[in-house]
Amino acid sequence: MDRTVVPRNQRSTCRFHRRAGMRLLAALICCGLTVAAQNSTHQTASKPFSIRTTHLMGFESAKSNCTGTLSIQDDSLQFQQSGKSGAQIKIGSVQDVFLGDESKQVGGLPMTLGKAAAPFGGGRVVSLFAHKKYDLLTLEYVDSDGGIHGAIFQLDKGQGDVVKHELRARGVVSSREDQSKHSAAEVKYENK
Amino acid sequence: MKTSKWSPLIAWVSAILVIAVVLPLHGAKAKSSGSETSAAGWSVQVDQVNPGTLDLSYSFQVAIYENLVDELNKTKQFQQVFREGDHRASEVPGLLVLKTTVEKYTAGSETRRAVTTVSGATKLTVRSQLLTREGKVVLERTVNGDVRFFGSNLRATHNLARNIAKTLKESSWPDSPEPTALLSAQPRV
Repeated sequence: MDRTVVPRNQRSTCRFHRRAGMRLLAALICCGLTVAAQNSTHQTASKPFSIRTTHLMGFESAKSNCTGTLSIQDDSLQFQQSGKSGAQIKIGSVQDVFLGDESKQVGGLPMTLGKAAAPFGGGRVVSLFAHKKYDLLTLEYVDSDGGIHGAIFQLDKGQGDVVKHELRARGVVSSREDQSKHSAAEVKYENK
Repeated sequence: MKTSKWSPLIAWVSAILVIAVVLPLHGAKAKSSGSETSAAGWSVQVDQVNPGTLDLSYSFQVAIYENLVDELNKTKQFQQVFREGDHRASEVPGLLVLKTTVEKYTAGSETRRAVTTVSGATKLTVRSQLLTREGKVVLERTVNGDVRFFGSNLRATHNLARNIAKTLKESSWPDSPEPTALLSAQPRV
């Protein structure tokens, strides 16, 4: 029999080296994955982000109840009404972000007038179906004097979560739980 | 001398017109001059809304706070209106702090209002307190705000803030910002 005889202690050394190699490989893979994840987070955080929204109230000098673009670039949060100069704040000044939702009638004043003018209560029937759910994004931030401001934005359903996620990726904390009971009560009303 | 039969009638109508036009103007003038002096020398700091034990949406709390700052600025009743946390407020001599606590809240529905007209109103009742730096209550009122027919639910916060500003304007408290003058605090209504 031509079997090579390997001494016992040499075999165990070999096994020890193999195990060490495996551990090193696993550690390297872990490090690689962590670095990759950090890079992707950093890329997400620094990537400019913008979304169409309606400013309801409170954001710096922006007009209330106007539609524009809410954008996040570098360390600033900006709201720009189409064709006008934008208002902006530092993301670092944002202390809290909160997401809620609200059901609203669509069409604004013209639709309301039309519904009121419709004969035989036709407007009421239209109202029954002419409503839409929106996300309400509420921000709390401080100005240069330390005064607390609150700003409310209205976004299409589902988009509020995207903005909140973007803000959180840039270090904004959310200390409050998102709205649930209020909207639930409203849904209950509407389902009756 | 010949007098027309219409003369007494004309005289009566003129007298009524004079009374109808001049008296309200005089009243309004007196009222406005009174309200201007009621808060002369005072500045106010608006604190964030305390929801109390109620589950009031945060957007509602923020909307009440923002609308209050807006409405108080509009009335021009106070020398300066500060927000909570504003460090400039500590340097102002006559500062009152406006605290708002929500006492009652009825969540409404815009759709329900539009369909039924009579139900689905959003109602808010708050207790507003004006306090000095030392914590003495200068004024305490319970104020309501609601939206019954047209407008979104947040419209109730605007109406509430307007009512609070109006209540403060119509109320009177010591003219001078000296702490000794504040002992005659008004009772709760």
